[in-house]
Amino acid sequence: MIYIFYLIFFGFFLTAVIGLLASWIDRKVTARVQYRVGPPLLQPLIDIIKLLGKETLVPAGASRTTFLMAPVVGFSSVVLVSTLLWINDIRLGQGFVGDIIVAIYLLTIPSMSIIMGGFASANPLASIGASREMKLILAYELPFVFAVMVPVIKSGYSIRIGEILGAQAQNGVVVGSLSGFIALVVALMSVQAKLALVPFDIPEAETEISGGALIEYSGTALAMFRLTKNMLLFTLPFFLMILYMGGLRFDGIHLLYGILKYVLLVALITVIRNTNPRLRIDQAVKFFWGPMTVLAVGAVVLAYFGK
Amino acid sequence: MSFKLNALLRSPWVFHLSTGSCNNCDIEVLDCLTPRFDIERFGMLLAPSIKHADVLLITGSCNRKSAERLKRLYEQAPKPCLVVAIGECSMSRGMFVHSYNCPQPLDKIIPVDVYIPGCPPKPEAIIAGVVKLIEKVKAQAAEKK
Amino acid sequence: MREEILKDITGRFKDDIVDVFDKSPSRVYIEIRKEALVKIATYALRQIKARFNIASGVDCRHHFEILYHFTVEDINLLISFRVKLPVDKLEIDSLAPVFEGANWIEREMSELLGIDFKGHPDKRRLLLSDEWPEGVYPLRCDYEEWDKKAIRDRGI
Repeated sequence: MIYIFYLIFFGFFLTAVIGLLASWIDRKVTARVQYRVGPPLLQPLIDIIKLLGKETLVPAGASRTTFLMAPVVGFSSVVLVSTLLWINDIRLGQGFVGDIIVAIYLLTIPSMSIIMGGFASANPLASIGASREMKLILAYELPFVFAVMVPVIKSGYSIRIGEILGAQAQNGVVVGSLSGFIALVVALMSVQAKLALVPFDIPEAETEISGGALIEYSGTALAMFRLTKNMLLFTLPFFLMILYMGGLRFDGIHLLYGILKYVLLVALITVIRNTNPRLRIDQAVKFFWGPMTVLAVGAVVLAYFGK
Repeated sequence: MSFKLNALLRSPWVFHLSTGSCNNCDIEVLDCLTPRFDIERFGMLLAPSIKHADVLLITGSCNRKSAERLKRLYEQAPKPCLVVAIGECSMSRGMFVHSYNCPQPLDKIIPVDVYIPGCPPKPEAIIAGVVKLIEKVKAQAAEKK
Repeated sequence: MREEILKDITGRFKDDIVDVFDKSPSRVYIEIRKEALVKIATYALRQIKARFNIASGVDCRHHFEILYHFTVEDINLLISFRVKLPVDKLEIDSLAPVFEGANWIEREMSELLGIDFKGHPDKRRLLLSDEWPEGVYPLRCDYEEWDKKAIRDRGI
């Protein structure tokens, strides 16, 4: 019974609230950097509410079930992985062996749902966007998995998130060591690509392929996609915080430190987003399979030798 | 005013369409998105695809070839959708009234809610027109009650 | 340079040129007979290495004119070759087999003015919509409105 509470309150509600707030921070900081006034505080929430009130149009040649199920698949997997991370963060002993593998697996499903949706709409531009998303997933998953191996090695070769958190509470945060720092940089780049933000917003390139994979979506389905993306803006930095920075502890001063850590990660994502142009897909693949993989493998080797 | 309409007016996503214009009005519309006349503070974003659009900004006098495409695009925009006609050419074809290629003015093809005169209208005029559109929709909803 | 080019053209095609109008240092109008068009245009393109800009068609009431504009950019010279066509026989040799740049402008002139370009490889419509009737040419002086549903008053 307690897990239903965790699912609805922590997994969905708290994640959505913090995710929408982070999305507002991102848009407001972008606006200020460009010397203009940004949107008001509740703007991401009003966007989603407005989209819920419009009609949902399904194109004529599209496969109707896949088209309408794709956002539901993405949304439910984000809720599940948030619940998993929150449970591990609040009650350290409640995870199971191998739940870091489950978390990595569940975090690829939102990108898969964009691919499903893109190929289910009978539109050539959506197919281009979906195929670019496929190539991007191939690119960034490799250094991401290597970067996740570093806290696994540092906490004594355990694949339970609870034990990783416990080891950080005893020995100090993973990012303090050299290999942890390098791994955090690589993981942050992979998170930027997973969220489809500039410089890697190739699948949803606005001016190039007018919306990419989401070109045929409207109404409730689009609202779910946007809510998934906003919730990921909380879940992915939270995952990085748990693996590298010791998670979010609720006692005393550590709560403030936790909030500052999260805001720092969101600020880094925003700064990278505002200062870079968009890459082409072959440049992005070369970037992830070239320097990023070399750095990640170097970090794993350093962690193996104890640095 | 209903909740749905309130949310629609606080986050209208604009879609910009030119039906054969000289592109002056298009440049002025693009000016509105720049930091000087920032319209993101009203929640307006440039929608990449017609299926994400709430407000259609139409420039240019509608000629025979773009009339059928305009009708198809208007049907693809999910309702409720508002239409804004920008510039003299889309109000009444301007100086192209007797042209062989523009038989009908824009409001005989799709229903228009607000007209913004000018050749081209300044960005301040476009923003004032959109504000008048929001107030007109609110007044219509209030008087329907 | 400019004088050399003009003397070259006027000397070589003496019996095809009807009139030369030297308007300004950068603008020359040369009126030629319509049978010699392909010869002169090929010469201007290949030997003088002028660039074909555009062609314009005019309906003067008693005859039609087509002007072909060639530019010699190094010396800032625009040469326009003028061809006059009689109203009852609107046809001329096409320049599209010679170079590709004349293809679309001749399609546009044939559908808007009704001039027949003999030897043009592709005589489809370019600009007018599909519902436009055949044989009605909008840029002629005697064009009349054929669309019954057109609205021509501003409603004021």
